[in-house]
Amino acid sequence: MSASVRQYGARASVRPSDRSDTRALASSHREAIRRRTRRIRRSVAGLAVALFSAAFLVVYVQLASGHDPALVANATRRAGATSTESTTTGTGSSDEAGTGDFGSSSGESSFSSGEEAGGGASAVTTSQS
Amino acid sequence: MLATAAGPYLFWITSRAAGIAALLLASLAVCVGLLMGGRIGKGRRPELRVTHEALSLATLAALLVHGLSLLGDAYMHPSLGDIAIPLLSGYKTLWTSIGIVAFWTLAVLGLSYYARARIGVQRWRKLHRFAALAWILGLAHSIGEGTDAGQAWFLASVAIVVVPALVLLLARLLRSATAPQPEAAR
Repeated sequence: MSASVRQYGARASVRPSDRSDTRALASSHREAIRRRTRRIRRSVAGLAVALFSAAFLVVYVQLASGHDPALVANATRRAGATSTESTTTGTGSSDEAGTGDFGSSSGESSFSSGEEAGGGASAVTTSQS
Repeated sequence: MLATAAGPYLFWITSRAAGIAALLLASLAVCVGLLMGGRIGKGRRPELRVTHEALSLATLAALLVHGLSLLGDAYMHPSLGDIAIPLLSGYKTLWTSIGIVAFWTLAVLGLSYYARARIGVQRWRKLHRFAALAWILGLAHSIGEGTDAGQAWFLASVAIVVVPALVLLLARLLRSATAPQPEAAR
């Protein structure tokens, strides 16, 4: 019997256990991939929640401390309008300046007010501290 | 100093935070997507693919929160059409429309991954390149319309992920422009 035939014969005799070994190896490999996939997905979900929470916190603190860009811009605009109103002696312009974008009750005005969409809300509860 | 009760603005804050998170996640997804096709990510393609997919799905979820939370905002009070159909909203119409177009493009191109066998892998790959364009539209929307666009913390955090993504995108564009075409090679 030649060496190759002997080798083949030996291989054929251990084939069932080899196959089960290969199967076990493949299944453990698949399991490892599955575990890695799950770990990556969980990390990304955690990252997304962390990013959202951090952004929420920054915006919340900014708003609560009175440094919100939209509200500050709106307050400045309103202060400017008020000072203009007090210095002018005309009659017709004061109404416009006083109410601005927020005095109107129509829904249309809230959408046509540029930056004030967010800032518009400041008309509700902005107070001096 | 002006202090504001934040309670009435919770929907508005939620929308802003979700928009920022979506922009950061989308930029990371673009980075990972571009790395997949490059030399750097050659040995780690399976991990990068899973990461890219997860980041893209997280971006879409954040975008949904970004748009839907506005529906609860007491001041703006937009309709579903205002946040889903371009040119319908009266608030900063151009920037809002750009954001809506970017969202739908990202949603269609992103979710089409699950139908790529039906579309055809080559055709899907060609279509998927437009996702980078949608990301740029989203970036323009956030800078043009975002309330926090002028804030240093926003610009710094966005730059950390946007600049590498832009560099990778430029590198990819340059490489595909200089690479010989299959016809020319023959």
